[in-house]
Amino acid sequence: MANPSADRFEQDTVEILTRLSRRPIEPTPDKELMADLGFDSLQVLELVGELEDHFNVSVPLNALTHIRTVGQIVDEVRTLASAAPGSPA
Amino acid sequence: MNTPRTVSEALRDAADTPRGIRFIEHDGRTQLVPYRELLACACAIGGALRALGYEDGDRVAIVIPEISGFVTGFFGIVAAGLVPVPLCPPAQAGDVATFARHSAHIIGASHAVAVLTTDDVRPLLEPAVRQPDHADAPSVARVSPNFHTLESLQGGPTLAAPRPRSLDDIALLQFTSGSTALPKGVVLTFGNLASNVESIIGPAGLGVGPGDVSVSWLPLYHDMGLIGMLLSSVYSAIDAVQMSSVLFLKRPSAWLDALSRYGGSISFAPNFAYELCRRRVKSSQLEQLDLSRWRVAGCGAEPIRPDTLQQFADYFAPAGFRKESLLPSYGLAEHSLAVTFAHGGVSVDTVDAERLVRESVAVPVVNGSSSVRIVRCGTPFPGHSVRVVDEDFVELPERHVGAIVARGPSVMQGYFEQPEITEATLRDGWLVTGDLGYMANGSLYVCGRTKDVIIRQGRKYHPADLEAALSDVQGVAVSGVVVFALTHVDDADEVVAVVETRAGARTTDLEEAVRRRIRETAGLDVDRVVLASPGTIPRTTSGKVRRSETRNRFEAGTLVR
Repeated sequence: MANPSADRFEQDTVEILTRLSRRPIEPTPDKELMADLGFDSLQVLELVGELEDHFNVSVPLNALTHIRTVGQIVDEVRTLASAAPGSPA
Repeated sequence: MNTPRTVSEALRDAADTPRGIRFIEHDGRTQLVPYRELLACACAIGGALRALGYEDGDRVAIVIPEISGFVTGFFGIVAAGLVPVPLCPPAQAGDVATFARHSAHIIGASHAVAVLTTDDVRPLLEPAVRQPDHADAPSVARVSPNFHTLESLQGGPTLAAPRPRSLDDIALLQFTSGSTALPKGVVLTFGNLASNVESIIGPAGLGVGPGDVSVSWLPLYHDMGLIGMLLSSVYSAIDAVQMSSVLFLKRPSAWLDALSRYGGSISFAPNFAYELCRRRVKSSQLEQLDLSRWRVAGCGAEPIRPDTLQQFADYFAPAGFRKESLLPSYGLAEHSLAVTFAHGGVSVDTVDAERLVRESVAVPVVNGSSSVRIVRCGTPFPGHSVRVVDEDFVELPERHVGAIVARGPSVMQGYFEQPEITEATLRDGWLVTGDLGYMANGSLYVCGRTKDVIIRQGRKYHPADLEAALSDVQGVAVSGVVVFALTHVDDADEVVAVVETRAGARTTDLEEAVRRRIRETAGLDVDRVVLASPGTIPRTTSGKVRRSETRNRFEAGTLVR
């Protein structure tokens, strides 16, 4: 699964996604969380909660409406973490 | 019981106390708003809405994801003498297109003169409202509503007091049932709301006193959150904690943290929430929780699993949770909200499974027979009655399963501008709930439903919507789809999609496409996809699919031969 071109945001997100999924999945950036990976709306919010805790960010409500793919959620947390003061990124 | 009051009268009374609402938003930000301040904000918004020319009884749709904004907007609409129509915000409505289509239908069907929303939501919704894309919905957009945000309503002339309304005036249009194509708006008067809320908080209900603290993460566009938690708190003028449902779903522990931190004594949630807490709150978190003041842990809005509640009680006992606090309940939007409460903890009736299914009788199990466990949902409130009747509307003896009907001052006026469905639902003053159950020792037990609605995690899905979503999936035969739920008395609904395939369709691809489409449009997982040849689904002479017959044949194993 280790992808040399992926940064820690992508690696950690993929790891968390794989842990939360009820079935074996291959969460590449283009995969849609609900349609491709079989997440229901509850699991998507569980994922967001885990990512927020892990990266110490808060995903805005309107972003939740637009996030469909793995890549989009990775981009979202990367942007939020980079903007946060004292960010280790 | 107190003299019945309108919502604004109750808010004015609450404003005379030092108490109020603490809001906890999706990101954990908290804000304490005394009822006094909420009343002032409501009068300001109400004044601005009146200045725009809206008149008593006009409908105003409200879709605001932030809970403090929703609550302020809601009471502002009410203070203006207008009728709020709460809508589900997009974050929890599956995808944006479904949200827009569904909301546009409701806005059209309610002839809303205005939509109170946010700058974030407006661009998602406005195009669908302006250009309804569904020719099959004649009710859509007869009036073109104006869009407002709370910010845009600041600084207008404020009302000295909320507009006086009478108990017979319409208080609320609650669109919780009905498919997207045919939305059904439950019409409730202030009298209905007052009857139900006073029943909930009164001595035969929860016996709410000034020392109680309510804590809720329930969505406010839904009856249990809006009426059961928010309005009940305002009518009893107690301290309330209103938490974002997004926060709860992200971190279920946030609900229990709030109960612990703010001394919550009353909180309601559907079965799945208790399950979620047990699964996702770590045992290491237990020692930081004090749930000893939680005296009413209500459970309703979806089938109640006794095992879930028992496991929750066991798991959280070290945090001071008492299993006697659990309060199974039964209710529906058409009855304002609550119909029965079962006091004294979870009481289970263990009945013979075979005789329940075959003979529609609930007889206590004898050794060896397979059994199902059904939770006692309790007794109706003073001034209200509940009966179980047969097809001819004749009351059935105890332990015979039939249709649950209810009567009393909490029963809705009808479905907004839907006289035919209203007539079928309100018979001789009795509300036909669509649920099946039986009475035993004067208590109600709920064990199924006659309507086609599918319930998952407290949310209702309509087979017609899901079937419509599947109609243009590649490989699906023309009107060759039926979706239904297999209901279980002690477990979640199982969703089945029967799909007639076109010649040459690749079955593995089609099954995945069906699941994918339902997930995309409804955020729902289909449990079983049945692919069948054209002609499998039973139809009426006019060619309409017969859903219940399809389900019956599926259950009997005779659908696909």
